[in-house]
Amino acid sequence: MADPLLLDLVKTAKSYGINVGFLTSPHERDIWLEGFRTTLTLVATMIPVSLAAGMALAAALTARQRWLALPARVFVELTRNTPTLVQLSCAFLGLNMLISQSLGGAGQNPFGAFFWVVLVVGLHGAAYHAEALRAGIEAVPDTTLEAARALGFNRLEILRWVELPLALRIALPTIVNNLVTLVKLTTVGSAVAVGEITYASIMIWTQRDNVVELMVVILVFFSAINLVVSQIGLWLERRLAVPGLGVRS
Amino acid sequence: MTTPVPPDSRPPLVRLRDVHLSFGATEVLKGVDLDVRSGEALSIIGPSGSGKSTILRCINGLIAPQRGEIHVAGTALHQLTREADRLALRKRIGFVFQQFNLFPHLSVLENIAIAPVRILGHPRDEVERHARDLLDRVRLSGKERAYPGELSGGQQQRVAIARALAMRPELVLFDEVTSALDPETVGEVLAVIRDLIRDGLTSVLVTHEMRFAEEISDVVVFTEGGRIVAQGPPDAIFHTNDNPRVTAFITGLGNREPANTGTEGRAR
Repeated sequence: MADPLLLDLVKTAKSYGINVGFLTSPHERDIWLEGFRTTLTLVATMIPVSLAAGMALAAALTARQRWLALPARVFVELTRNTPTLVQLSCAFLGLNMLISQSLGGAGQNPFGAFFWVVLVVGLHGAAYHAEALRAGIEAVPDTTLEAARALGFNRLEILRWVELPLALRIALPTIVNNLVTLVKLTTVGSAVAVGEITYASIMIWTQRDNVVELMVVILVFFSAINLVVSQIGLWLERRLAVPGLGVRS
Repeated sequence: MTTPVPPDSRPPLVRLRDVHLSFGATEVLKGVDLDVRSGEALSIIGPSGSGKSTILRCINGLIAPQRGEIHVAGTALHQLTREADRLALRKRIGFVFQQFNLFPHLSVLENIAIAPVRILGHPRDEVERHARDLLDRVRLSGKERAYPGELSGGQQQRVAIARALAMRPELVLFDEVTSALDPETVGEVLAVIRDLIRDGLTSVLVTHEMRFAEEISDVVVFTEGGRIVAQGPPDAIFHTNDNPRVTAFITGLGNREPANTGTEGRAR
């Protein structure tokens, strides 16, 4: 049933003392491959969620209205100052359960573990993005803002066309840093049985004695994702670089 | 130079009456009256801290005075309570700053086009055509793709003038627009403003360029200590005025030989 080529590979690896025998089990192999896919899906959804929420939070933090700035500040402090794992447990085991109950059973609840991981970890990243962007927004000189107001820009138009574009350039290195951390934080999904790569690996290595082999794969996998993330960040920095603005000119 | 219109032939475009303004305990304007008519160039001169720039910011609603009336282009600015109404008025008034204040992340063309496109919602191709015409007018054709950081101060200021004109304003306010420039580039900026005024642009200029103010203005206003001390046609202010303070200020700037024996001139 198994591919002869695969059997060969497993045998050769074994002769070098590397145990990848689980690859011959279609069930375990599927769990493992699904783990890669799930991690990549988590990364691909979490990054845009964190960026969008981060911009909204930064806008709220720098708003002149207290009813916007204060809740945003409270949210940022709560999110930054408490363990993500505990937040996730509270959201999934607490909030999600309450939603299930009020909707009349878990079967009616549209939200699953995957949703809660994206939401909690995504907003965690957003809190960090928001602080980085706030620093950028506050670095925009008052004279530049006055010029925009004199041209008839309203508060939101100033944010969209002047403050955010300038803040993004200032905050980009920090934001990329945050994204690298965010990629690694997808592994907390294993705590609520989201089948990402660490969860899948744990499932496999508890049945077989191949912890080291799978660990190495996990490390290489995350290194590769983050290499791509940081390279995209550097490319964006160069793309957005403007003569006479910032360090690079 | 435009011929001054006879007084009261039409309502002024800008009308300030008894405008009082304080920043905290500091009284900046202590009852300012001012009229600017359509097609007229009015210069405000006077010592630093006399409220010149504050008057400009009251005219476009960037600062709201505590007391007094401000009418601009048929709008009673002092009665506006909503920021949206003040914004609507600001779109019709150009403002050119001492420090240029261009958007550093936008190219020259984008700096000029962004407000008409994003704020007025005008079609981009039409706005860009207008922007290129304006660049030609401020003698900066070919600089469309440059960024502010790549331009000299004089070039940046001319872009800032084009940016203000792109909104097709009914009035342009110039706030000491050559004060941050080196002497060599002052001339190129003044030449552009001179052309615009000759073409009939209504403008209020705060300036320390006495010769220039004398040459291009229909009306010159002298402010000191938050009040308008003297006003009239340039000739009356610069040559035949009998106010010793005004004479001292003008001669102190080294503009010309003292008309009378003013010895207490301010050195700058």
